[in-house]
Amino acid sequence: MTVPAQKPVRKLSMKQRYSALTHDLDWTPTYVTEDEVFPHTTFEGIKVHDWSKWDDPFRLTVEAYNKYQAEKDRRLYAVLDGFAQSQGQLGLTDARYMNAMKIFLQGIPIHEYDAHRNFAYLARYANGPGARFAALCQSLDELRHAQTEIHTLSHYNKYFDGMHDWHKWSDRVWYLSVPKSFFEDALTAGPFEWLIAIGFSFEYLLTNLLFVPFMSGAAFNGDLPTMTFGFSAQSDESRHMTLGLEAIKFMLEQDEDNLPIVQDWLDKWFWRGYRLISLVAGMMDYMLPKRVMSWKEAFELYFEEQMLGGLFKDLEYYGIKPPRHVDWAIGEKEILSHQVYWILYQYSHAAAFSTTIPNAEDQAWLEQAYPETWPVYRDTVWDKAQRVMDEGGRYFNPGLPQLCTVCQIPMGFTEPGDPLTQCQRQSVYEGERYDFCSDGCQWIFDREPVKYRQSWLPVHQIFQGNCGGPTLPDVAAWYGLQPGDGAEYLGSPDHQNWLAWHGQAPQEG
Amino acid sequence: MAVKAMYDYDWPSRSAAELYGDDQLVHVWFRGNVFFVSAQTFRFPKAMPFGELVGLCKGFFAADPDFVPDAMDSASWKVDGQPITPVLDRSLEENGVGHKSLVEFTL
Repeated sequence: MTVPAQKPVRKLSMKQRYSALTHDLDWTPTYVTEDEVFPHTTFEGIKVHDWSKWDDPFRLTVEAYNKYQAEKDRRLYAVLDGFAQSQGQLGLTDARYMNAMKIFLQGIPIHEYDAHRNFAYLARYANGPGARFAALCQSLDELRHAQTEIHTLSHYNKYFDGMHDWHKWSDRVWYLSVPKSFFEDALTAGPFEWLIAIGFSFEYLLTNLLFVPFMSGAAFNGDLPTMTFGFSAQSDESRHMTLGLEAIKFMLEQDEDNLPIVQDWLDKWFWRGYRLISLVAGMMDYMLPKRVMSWKEAFELYFEEQMLGGLFKDLEYYGIKPPRHVDWAIGEKEILSHQVYWILYQYSHAAAFSTTIPNAEDQAWLEQAYPETWPVYRDTVWDKAQRVMDEGGRYFNPGLPQLCTVCQIPMGFTEPGDPLTQCQRQSVYEGERYDFCSDGCQWIFDREPVKYRQSWLPVHQIFQGNCGGPTLPDVAAWYGLQPGDGAEYLGSPDHQNWLAWHGQAPQEG
Repeated sequence: MAVKAMYDYDWPSRSAAELYGDDQLVHVWFRGNVFFVSAQTFRFPKAMPFGELVGLCKGFFAADPDFVPDAMDSASWKVDGQPITPVLDRSLEENGVGHKSLVEFTL
């Protein structure tokens, strides 16, 4: 018997296959106008002529997406189980390390969830199918990231303070108003501004500065779960970076009138994001028992070299210039972490992490990493803080700090070229004064004063009587802080437990 | 610049003077001293004599072990960037200190 020769199956290319699988997911409405279906994509002034030009280079389908993510989740949760069963927390470099993860848990997952919400909104309200599908995938990613970060860190909550009420703290505690105001600023903007704010500036321009230090910090300090989470998220991040880049290029290619609007948003969101990740600078240089690299080195590599030297060279073609106030940021790279940690140190009695004076080993590291600037801060503040300790005290600031109206960080940043004079900027709008830490934040306020005059500034809210009462114990109770969550690390429950777990007697005092 | 929105976007300040009644917020900045990482914000009665503010500062800034309270008596002062010679028995308001003013001193 003869078998008839089979006709060879014509294989579709990936692009053709994707297009065949998705081409019915978009149609032109006939009962209503396009504006009625997509009412939010014109008021920001961005002109789009052809939404089909929004390309999704990943060409994922829902099926492939789910398969891929499920596999990554299986791997992550296997690591989490193994770590918990083997009492992995005992193998950390030091309990001090957990302070970095406390800030991460308090400041990040809840805003991953915000990002999930807004990308879900874009998955419905963007006019083109390419943009909608990319937003859908990112929305699912952000939800997974929120969940996996919470699950990853939940193990530590059994053993360490400062992790039990991150959700409530995010809405109430002073330093967490910094990330909260950043994300809510973006959530309340239009869809195109959101894409530049989060899709491009945060996920592309600054993402390596945010994630690499935390994840490498985890790897260097024995925190296998967080490191594994980081790897699990990394492949999503590369997709997010692509979406961010696609978004900015799409806007710039659609109409030349979009350029000034996009440049303005880029200027704003670079500075907003840069101020937000100053918390990472303090964490990198002062809170990791084993350091990966200094903030200054990370800034030079991930921002100056990769972004200014690479990305912005490409964007020049569209007429995009490096962000406004970028020179100010570069000028701060030697001093930023010192100033941020000094803020955290003197207000950690009202925080859900603890701080301590850099020990001899830390100081030696700081000296080689910052030979010019570390001695300035050692001599003016740390030696004095040590004297207070030696006399049996602990320096906490007895009052409340002046806050920047835009970034909401205590105004401890200094004038360019003068590391010992705090920068003071004021604008008056409709007869009321507003304060800023820098030209960057002042410029952002002056663009949209009516938006930022609504800032929920923790210090002002305390003085208005909205935070439980006038005294520190009142406010701490309203925050939901418990003894051991904050203040000095040495002698704290975390420190004493750590010593006991490792068979060492707690230190005197 | 107006906020781009789909409606007439106008919302009040969350820290307007009227929210504090007869009091006001005042930022006090010990210029040149970064041991206090930033200027400090206080809620003071508008009618509080300036001398009382000086007295409070003598106690407050003593958290710095090198601070000499009596040095405050010869401090030079600025309000919102303008040099002033404070009249100690007159109110903050009469000395030109308004809501969210920056009161700065140098020793």
